[in-house]
Amino acid sequence: MWENRCKVAVSGIGYSKVTRTADIPLAAHALEAVRGAVADSGLKMEDIDGLATYPELPATGHAEIDGISVVSVNCMMAMLKLPNLTWHIQTGTVNIGGAVQQAVNALLAGVCKYAVVWRAMHNPKGTYQNLPGTYAAGAAQFTAPYGFGGPGQGMAVAYTRWLEKHNQSREKMATLAVTQRQHAQKNPHAYFYGTPLTRENYLSSRMVAYPFCLYDCDIPVQGAVAIVLTTADRARDLKPRPAYLASYGQRLHLEVADRIGSLSSYMLGGGSSAKLTWERSGFSPKDVDVAQIYDGFSASVIYGLESYGFCEEGQALDFIQDGRIGLDGDLPLNTFGGSLGTGRIHGLWHIIEGALQASGRAGERQVKAVNVSFVGASAPIVTGTTFIFVNEPY
Amino acid sequence: MSDWSQVTRPIPVPNEWTRPFWDAAKAHELKMQRCQSCGHFQHPPYPTCVNCMAIDLKFEPVEGKGTIYAYTIMYHTGDRRFSSAVPYASIIVELDAAPGALMAGNLLDAEYTEAKVGRRVEVVFQKLNDDFTLPQFRLARG
Repeated sequence: MWENRCKVAVSGIGYSKVTRTADIPLAAHALEAVRGAVADSGLKMEDIDGLATYPELPATGHAEIDGISVVSVNCMMAMLKLPNLTWHIQTGTVNIGGAVQQAVNALLAGVCKYAVVWRAMHNPKGTYQNLPGTYAAGAAQFTAPYGFGGPGQGMAVAYTRWLEKHNQSREKMATLAVTQRQHAQKNPHAYFYGTPLTRENYLSSRMVAYPFCLYDCDIPVQGAVAIVLTTADRARDLKPRPAYLASYGQRLHLEVADRIGSLSSYMLGGGSSAKLTWERSGFSPKDVDVAQIYDGFSASVIYGLESYGFCEEGQALDFIQDGRIGLDGDLPLNTFGGSLGTGRIHGLWHIIEGALQASGRAGERQVKAVNVSFVGASAPIVTGTTFIFVNEPY
Repeated sequence: MSDWSQVTRPIPVPNEWTRPFWDAAKAHELKMQRCQSCGHFQHPPYPTCVNCMAIDLKFEPVEGKGTIYAYTIMYHTGDRRFSSAVPYASIIVELDAAPGALMAGNLLDAEYTEAKVGRRVEVVFQKLNDDFTLPQFRLARG
């Protein structure tokens, strides 16, 4: 087991408004989320001495403008002018989970005391995947001439392989979409709060990239979320009950860069991250009381459930049936609505919900008697990170 | 059948690692990067062998027969120049001669509903312009 288990905790949580269009600069969303997280901890802004983010815009063909379409560490530093800042970083791999893990490491190393991590996501005007136009350079030279473009299609091809290899049917995914939307009805911050989804809505919705229909894809939005991380000792003196970090992992497997459609990339990536997380924590999938598994596209949940070890390969769409993933099921899943319910804010929201469930702060959607709270914070393929939060240090 | 007649495909921009692939395709030949140390084929091209880390890589001819590893049927196109062809099949092919080296293509000369995992396909060459020809696939004949 990891000697540093339960030595760092998530304390405060903050959200911005989540909107469909970019009516105000993204920097304002990020500030709202960061201020909210600091206030939730009962801290003052001058207490914050660590900053971390992953400032990527996953849309294609749009300019990255700091403060408008991304919010970098430099942007946040310039806005906050923190008098006691001692540490900061922005990460380039494994998405926002990597930034969270770096902040954990900084706290364990004693180079900061209260770190804020945020994820801010922009929804550009026009087509989200604004594909290359006349020429296709780099990795796209082998895909764009064939009409491939955007991560959705890359996910879709792996999903057809999974479906046909395991003789499964995409209609079973309706259970995931409908259950998560039900959960989103208990999350006032979610984009789809107040908008339920029926099984019929799912089954009759238009195809985007078969096997993905509209409701298999998270909706692009503008918004931000943030957390305060601190050492367990300090967290106990703050306002909210801490969510103790038992362990984390990151994907260690990478096949040829830019290889498209490989199902094994997801399985090996997720498996490598989860193995670290189980071994460091001493827990196994059967110990998990509640799980958040990244769902930017619905099929990511399949790869997560299987590669993390919650069910056998080929069985995830059967595993999620019969109420198992509801709030009172055996494995309540994406209890905040997931990205399919909140809108596309990437995996920090999954980490937030994992922490809220572990600390008993999830309100109306709180799962009963949670100790072990699992998070898979992004698609297991190239960006996968996994976390376990617990209610009681051990 | 998907109507490709109005589609203007993006033109590949080769780099030093990928140019031999496109030069071969222009001559209606399928060539893939092969490690001269361990014999591993890989695609897309990469500066080092992803199997053994050697840097002695050469493009060698491969037989254009394989199976559909995966596919998607496109109904919504990010690149609007493809919108006249929807729905169309974009496929991923694993060649018999190069297991694990996955190639993208379209399924030509067939209904998009013919795209299925495991179906046999063979390479055909589709001229883009005087400089570039795309390796493409059709259902295997015979």
